[in-house]
Parts: sequence; structure tokens; C-alpha cells
Amino acid sequence: MRKKLRFMLMIVMVLTLSGCLGKREINDLAMVMAVGIDKGEKEQVKITTQIVRPADSRGATGAPSGQTGDPIWSASAEGETLFDAIRNLSTFSSRRVFWAHNYAIVINEDYAREGIGDVVDFFTRNPELRMRTWVMVTPDEASKLVSTLTGLEVIPGEAINKLFRYNRVSVQAPRTQMIDVQSALSIENVEPVIARVSLTNKGVSNKKPGESGAFDQIELKGAGVFRGEKLVGILDGEEVKGMLPFVEKLETGLVVLECPTDETKKLSIELEDHNFQVSPKMEEGKPKFKVDYAVKGSIVEGDCPLTIKDRPKIENLEKQMEQQLKAQIESVVNKAQSEYRADFLEFGNTFHNRYPAEWKKIKNDWESVFPDVKVETSTEAEITDSTLLINPTRQ
Amino acid sequence: MKIQISNGMFMAIIINLIYAKAIGLTQGSIAREVGRDMWISTFISILQGLFIMYITVKALQRTPEHNMVQQSKILLGKWTGKFVAIVFFVFLIGAYGAVLTTFVYHLNDYFLPEAPIFVFVLIALIVGVYATYFGIEVIGRMALIGVLSLFLLNILILMGSLSYFDIRELMPVLDSGIVRTTWASRFHNTDWAIATVISAILLPYVKSKDVWGNSGLLGLVFAGFMVILWPVLETGSLSASVTGDYLISCMQMARSAQIGYFLHRYEMIMIAFFAISTFTQIMLLFLCAAVCMKDVFNLRDFRPAVIPSSVILSLIGLWIVTNHSRAMLFVENYWVILAHAIAFPLPILLWILGYFFKKKLEKGSKAKTA
Repeated sequence: MRKKLRFMLMIVMVLTLSGCLGKREINDLAMVMAVGIDKGEKEQVKITTQIVRPADSRGATGAPSGQTGDPIWSASAEGETLFDAIRNLSTFSSRRVFWAHNYAIVINEDYAREGIGDVVDFFTRNPELRMRTWVMVTPDEASKLVSTLTGLEVIPGEAINKLFRYNRVSVQAPRTQMIDVQSALSIENVEPVIARVSLTNKGVSNKKPGESGAFDQIELKGAGVFRGEKLVGILDGEEVKGMLPFVEKLETGLVVLECPTDETKKLSIELEDHNFQVSPKMEEGKPKFKVDYAVKGSIVEGDCPLTIKDRPKIENLEKQMEQQLKAQIESVVNKAQSEYRADFLEFGNTFHNRYPAEWKKIKNDWESVFPDVKVETSTEAEITDSTLLINPTRQ
Repeated sequence: MKIQISNGMFMAIIINLIYAKAIGLTQGSIAREVGRDMWISTFISILQGLFIMYITVKALQRTPEHNMVQQSKILLGKWTGKFVAIVFFVFLIGAYGAVLTTFVYHLNDYFLPEAPIFVFVLIALIVGVYATYFGIEVIGRMALIGVLSLFLLNILILMGSLSYFDIRELMPVLDSGIVRTTWASRFHNTDWAIATVISAILLPYVKSKDVWGNSGLLGLVFAGFMVILWPVLETGSLSASVTGDYLISCMQMARSAQIGYFLHRYEMIMIAFFAISTFTQIMLLFLCAAVCMKDVFNLRDFRPAVIPSSVILSLIGLWIVTNHSRAMLFVENYWVILAHAIAFPLPILLWILGYFFKKKLEKGSKAKTA
């Protein structure tokens, strides 16, 4: 009798513990590599998904190795909400949309100006999506961007992923992941800043080498500044370089300077060893900030005869560097305070950490206090080496 | 000869009892109240737990062959003993509701959203009952494996989250004030309360009564260390506000973790380690519920009481977890009140009574254990 009971118990355990509930076979899944969000017609949301076609994405060179066509299949659908639009995809998609491999969320700027709260809410509620998914805004149609075959990577979504993964080198946009956006929206008095990309004719076709810009590439193009969940402005070029030390830990950077002896010639200085600090103070009952930025550089390219042994010229270059870095920081601070009136540089957070009691008094008015806060910038640059050469290539 | 477990197993039991809910559900509740001071709140709670564990051990060392139910029977009579057993049983119902909330929502929300909830409750019931029949020794060994798995889980989460850690997120310290931070510690108090109440029932099964104090306190300390890593990481990597947005904050951190470029979304590995510990918790609750029922109905052995007590716990637990809103209301409100009402006063009361009625206890402890 006991043996029979044990046997029955084991049968019950096998049936209930086998874990087949909710199973989905891999060939039933439409794996989204990138998703684009645009404004649809009639106030609706338009969602475009870039879905990988495994049979045609195995080629190492990017050429399809399967029977036909492209390594990705792009599909768009509209709906009243994001979830509604995604469900509408299933009306013509033969597979169930699966978000766990999504690399990028691309939001059109027109959509972002009306608020991205629904985007952040949907993707952070969804247990499938990774919190390390890259988030970006674009002036182009997001549907066009996620459907673009970019050339170097087989899967364009992977191209976007690697673009951000290695963008510490380019220093043209912040590395924004969904978790950063969610965190910025949750924290009081911190405004999100999101990477910006656009489609540019930069690819050179190997079939038509004489024709430059034969096909579009996705390019990092600055950052979108948000106040709350709405996009209020753009940072590009030097402003982004000034913004990045505030929000990220920089590993590299580049400064192009004029040669000391000939202003028409240029020098490239690669930045290393960044030491960036924002120190809050209280002066006469008002918050004030001091930004200290110390950096070391090495000469990586020179169009003029220059050696680091020539200290007066090097000091001249260091002064130029300091001025340029200071101008970058001051320009982005000015934009944050005067133009956008959005504290995306986290001054409030820094003040809160250092002066919690004083912060409690001003936090509700920070939006009106922040534009008038004094920010002093001091930069220190040192050129410490000239890579491999000690003497210039020409005298 | 009565079955006995080692003090090491006892420590492992304490760690397993505290860990599972403390790292996720509790931290979310604390974060919603005090934000980035959640790790301080957890620390303050552990100090309270150390005090109650000390009192519990000291009370039981007076009658090492008897648990708290039997001791109260010696002190105040048969019906008081039964009343204490019923009180503990009610506590265990509440504890199981909280444990089941942790277990079900970890698996259902993040891994198997399409599976019906009763399947998880049924699995917990079947596995828990099956293991409980084998007794405290098997569960004690399971607890040792549970501690190892929790240790590995901590290493995995550290590896995947440390690169995103920003210590500035933990500042300013005590931003919410000491009073609010201490008040928020009530959520974590419910976690160690399970450990102290179960210790009150199971200590007679632990060898070497002279070492009970050390092992009880050290168990809590080690559990504290292992738990406190999570609020620190959650604040530094996720931010306190994001932690507070989620029901199961630890899973949010687990699914954000990645090691290098190739190992991400490895929370499946982490949940396997987590589940070993959670099952140990479930087994211990079933065991203690059966022991309480045995004391109420004067049974010779706890085994006949395993199925009825486990089914009662499971049915009430199922009712709680089928609705997220009800589950959170229970875990953050009713369970907090219930746990504090039993875990704090009962050991203190028995310790005080034992102090005044020492002779009665000495006489009673020589009697045969039930």
C-alpha cells in the first residue's frame, strides 16, 4: 500500500513539476532586435519592430545565406496604446513577438515631445525586456531607422547595440539604457537625457565605390533633453562633450587644437585620466556649484612640427585645451539653466547629497531656483605624452 | 533517542528563513517609505532581531527539552500551552502567506506568467509535505545546501551589478531621519520574526544547548550580512526610487544584471539557487505548523498533522496570492501587525515568567517531554 501511495505521489509530482506550462518553442518566437515608436495617424501610436529571420541571418559577411531575402523582417502596426499596437502586430505576424533580445528602443522626436511616460511604463512593466536595452530618440521616422540595413553587422539591431557599446570612443552621445531613463524619471528634480541617433548617408557601397553615401547608416547625433517625460531640446557637438562628464564616467575624448606656430594647421589631443567633480556650496543662503575638470592628454596627431620637449608650446596648447573644455561645460550649463531650465546635469542631486537639510527647504522650488544658481568652472589640462614619437615627423 | 540537528544546521535554518523575502519584497516596501536609507533600516531591524533571538534562547535554555509551547504549558497550565500553540499556528499561517507571496510572484511574474497560480501553490505543498515527513534532520541538511546556494546567488548578483554601482546613490545617509528609518524596519522585522518563532519551536531539536545563544545570534548576523548586500546594491545600482516601484525588487535587479557582454539575463540560474532556499523555508513552516497542531491535539507524533496543517496553510496562502493587491495589503499591513504582536511579546513574556517561576520550570523540565 505504501509503495502504491509513493508511486502515485511520484506521478503527481512528475506531472506538476515538469515545467511545461507556458512553454514556447524557439521557432514560435518573433525575436525583436529593435523597436521604433512613432506617432501614428489619428493620435495613435505606431510601432515598428525589427524581427530577426534566423534562416537568413547566418552569413558572416551580411549576405543572406538562406533561401531568400533579408536577415530581418520589419513590421509596423498602430494602436491606441503601445500594448494595443503590439497586439495588432499579431494580426499578421506568424510568430509571437518576443522582447527578451531587443537591443534598442528608438523613439521619434515628435512622439517624445508629447511624453515618453507610456514607453517607459510599458517596457519596465514587461518582464521580458532587458533593462539594459538602449534607448534613443531620433529626428527621423523611427520606423525607417529600425528597418535600415546598416551593412557592417548582419542584424541592424546588433549594429545599434555595438554602436552604443563602443561609443565611449566617439563621445558623441550618452549611453542611455532603459534603467537610466526609468531612474531619472523616478528621482525628483533629475531630468533625463537620452541619446540621439539619425540616419545619414555615409555608407559606401562596395559595388559602387565611386558613389559615396550610397546607403544610410545610423549615426550618433547628440542627446535629447527632457523635462519630465517630454523632450524639450537637443544637445549636439560641443554641448554633448560638455554634458558627458556630468552624467557618465569618461574614459577617453578628443580635442582638436590649432598649432601654436600656424593657426591653419591642427593637432589632435586624446584625453585620458578624467577627473571631474561638482562641488556644491552654500553662499549667503543660496546654492552655488564649482565644477572642477582635470584631464591629461596625449598628442595623437600633429600637422605641425611639435615635440613635448618644447614646454612653452605645450603650455600654450594646454591653455587652449583648458579654454575649450571650459567653453564646452559652460555652454551646456548655460543651455540647462537658461534655455531648457531642466536639471539634466544632476546639480540638484549633488546638492542634496552634500546639504540634505538645506535641500529639503528648496527642493519644491528647485525648478525656479536652478536657473539662477551660480556655477563656476575650472579646468586643468596637462599634455603628458606624444604617443610613440618624441620628435615630430617633420622639422 | 530524539532526533537532533547540529548548531550549524540551526544557523543555516535561520539564514534560509530570513533571506528569501528580505531581499526583494521587504526591500521594496522599505524603499517606498525611506528611499535610499533602506539599508540602514534593514540594519536597525537586524539589531532588534538579535535582541529577540537572545531572549528566545535564554528562555528556552531553562527547559532545553521543551519548546516554547511546552514551556508555557509547564508555567501556566495545559490550556495556556494549547493557546500558545494556536497563536504560533496563526503566526505560521501569516508567515506562509508572506513566504508564498515571495515564492509565487518570483516565479509567476518573471518566469511563468501563463502558469496558473494554484500550480505554484500545489508544487510548494507537494514538495514541502514530502520533505516534512522526513523530519528536521533532512530539512536541516537541505538548509545547509540552501546557505551554499544563497552564497552563490550573492556572488552572482555582485558580479552582475557591481559595475553599475554608484555609491553616491546611497547618499545622503539618514535622509529620512532616524525615526522614519527605524519605523520602516518593521517590514524586515517580520522576516527575522519567522526565524525566532521557528527557533522557539525547534530549539529542543538542536544539540548542545550551551551553544544555542552563539549559534542563534550568529545565524542572525550571517543572515543580516547576506541580506544587507541587496539593499546596498539595489540602491547603488538601480536607485532607491526604482527599487520602490517594484513589487519584487530583487528580481528587477537580477534581470538588470549582466556579466560582461555575453552573460546577461542569467536570472534563471539565480532563481534556481533562490528556490532551494525558499523550499527550505516552506518545509520548515510546514514542520512547525505540524508540531503546533500536534501540541494542540496532544498527538504522539507530528507526522499525522503534516497534511492537514499544510493544507490549511496552503489554502489560506492561495487565497492571499491570487490577487496581487490583496497579497501586498496582507504583506505590508496585516502580516506586519501579526508578526509584531507575536514575535516580540511572547518570548519576552515567557522569559519574564520563567524568571519569576524558576522552580516550577525546574520541576516541569524534569517531566517527560510531550
